[in-house]
Amino acid sequence: MGVGTLPRREGARIEGATGSASAVAGRHSRTPFQKEEIFAAFLAGPALLVLVVTTTFPLVYLIWNSFQNINLAMPFMNGFAGLDNYTQMIADGNFWHSLELTAIYAISSVLLQVVIGLGLALLVMQIPRGQGVFRIVAILPIVLAPVVVGLFWRTLMLAPNFGIVDFAVKALGFGAVNWLGAPAPALISVIMIHTWQWTPFAFLVFLASLASLPPDVYEAARIDRAGPVQRFIHITLPLIRPALVIVVIMRSMIALSAFAAIFAATRGGPGTATEILNLYAYRTSFVELNFGYGSALAVALLVITLAVSGVLFALRTARVSQ
Amino acid sequence: MTAINPHKAARLRRNVLLYVAAALLLLIWVVPILWAVIVSLKSESEVLAYPPQLIFQPTMANYRDAVSGGFSILPSFFTSFILSTATTILTVLLAVPAAYAFARLSLPGKRALGFYTLVTQMIPPVGLVIPYFLILNKIGWLDTYQGLVTVFLTFSLPFAIWLMVSYMEDIPKEMEEAAFLDKASRLQTLWHVILPQVRGGIAVTVIFVFLNAWNEFLFSVQLSGNHVRPVTVAMYNFVSVEQTLWAKLAAAALIAMLPMIVIGIAAQKQIVKGLTVGAVKGGGRR
Repeated sequence: MGVGTLPRREGARIEGATGSASAVAGRHSRTPFQKEEIFAAFLAGPALLVLVVTTTFPLVYLIWNSFQNINLAMPFMNGFAGLDNYTQMIADGNFWHSLELTAIYAISSVLLQVVIGLGLALLVMQIPRGQGVFRIVAILPIVLAPVVVGLFWRTLMLAPNFGIVDFAVKALGFGAVNWLGAPAPALISVIMIHTWQWTPFAFLVFLASLASLPPDVYEAARIDRAGPVQRFIHITLPLIRPALVIVVIMRSMIALSAFAAIFAATRGGPGTATEILNLYAYRTSFVELNFGYGSALAVALLVITLAVSGVLFALRTARVSQ
Repeated sequence: MTAINPHKAARLRRNVLLYVAAALLLLIWVVPILWAVIVSLKSESEVLAYPPQLIFQPTMANYRDAVSGGFSILPSFFTSFILSTATTILTVLLAVPAAYAFARLSLPGKRALGFYTLVTQMIPPVGLVIPYFLILNKIGWLDTYQGLVTVFLTFSLPFAIWLMVSYMEDIPKEMEEAAFLDKASRLQTLWHVILPQVRGGIAVTVIFVFLNAWNEFLFSVQLSGNHVRPVTVAMYNFVSVEQTLWAKLAAAALIAMLPMIVIGIAAQKQIVKGLTVGAVKGGGRR
């Protein structure tokens, strides 16, 4: 949400603390060891207990449900289903279609956010004065609820006849486009909406990252007569790579679980043209009331999300340790 | 990275081009919000006029309807306020001590527990809303405050722990050691030495947790009802039931988002810090 569906879950530092465990242990070795551990367990215990109860328990229940028939529309069929939901999924064209849409949606929106965000950050870095204005304006999309963003775009921007995007396109001499009513434009629209809301995040991270780079490196490069493109490829890019990787990881997680803006703008439609995997899992569960199959779809999304983040993290550590 | 072009005119021309390009991009972020403001000041018939009109007699009628009468979003506004505040208080009370233990104390199995916290943060919300619907339905917690706050903890708590860990790690260890030499207990050290140091971090955490709870939609739309209906859900119902009342929707949406916009602009520096705390520091910490 939130920051929507998050900005839901924005800004957390994803890595790090675990690595310093041994250092911290050594640091306090003069104090009675066990006493500190008991105190630490006392401090961390409540939060961990709440996490287990609120996240792990429902997740185990989700996985359990994915092996059940739970259909509120056909309760007489309920019972253990074994792998039925998963075999159904493999044969389900809608599942593969939603998976394909998820990939298109996530990859293109993350790519656009990184490219536009970095380009804009580089541009704004060149501006001698007024960078603060950009920081403030960039906050605006981030703090709006994604559902409100989806509604704004659906009603005010993309609506036929009086949406201003529609008006602008017609005024420029192009034909009327049914932005949310035809499959391909609808998919482009929801990617545009996501990119609109979250590019500021990438922009702000890159701006802060660029501002923290040591100026003397650039001085040296100028003395060596390196051009702007060379400076970007050989100095800027390697130096901001940690920020780049973090942005890609965080934005991928959010894009994979995007819901509210698409739901508000298209509800997955027209037909299933914008129904990415989690909207499909949602529809299966809460519209068709087939909670067993919906759970299996959600498990698939969970496995994919964890696999993608695992691969991205592995890439990060591999590069860092080089 | 400022220009080293010795020719003033060329530099000026370059700056003007930079400003124009940047201003255009800036406009893209502002226009939808600005347009919502304009639409909210129109009558419903003016909204439907084509081509869209920029000159019209502004009216506050939509705002009056949004706060009173049958279209009022005020009840939802208060619901969201209660939900977000309760979530924020609980999250901070749980996350700050946990973050201190993770960042600065020896805790058995800390690596595994840190990884566990990280993974819980990556669970797609749709993976939780399905079991939660069934569980809350069983225990009678659908459409209740305690139900939604419990669900909101699933995304606020892991996030807050990780954010606070990164602030806790920044405190110089000498500060704690000085307190220990003065024979302060661990609890006293945490209270008198550590907490004052991470006040800024707690402020960032409060802002983000409140913001995320206020803007949440997927859990809210499915696990709430007529009794506990947050603003994001009230917004959505508004447009799907009353398709044509777009000026009223714009006014209601702007009122619902006003606290977030105010927080966003007022706490702009803290928000940028919160967004970038991991990403930027990731570079120096290898």
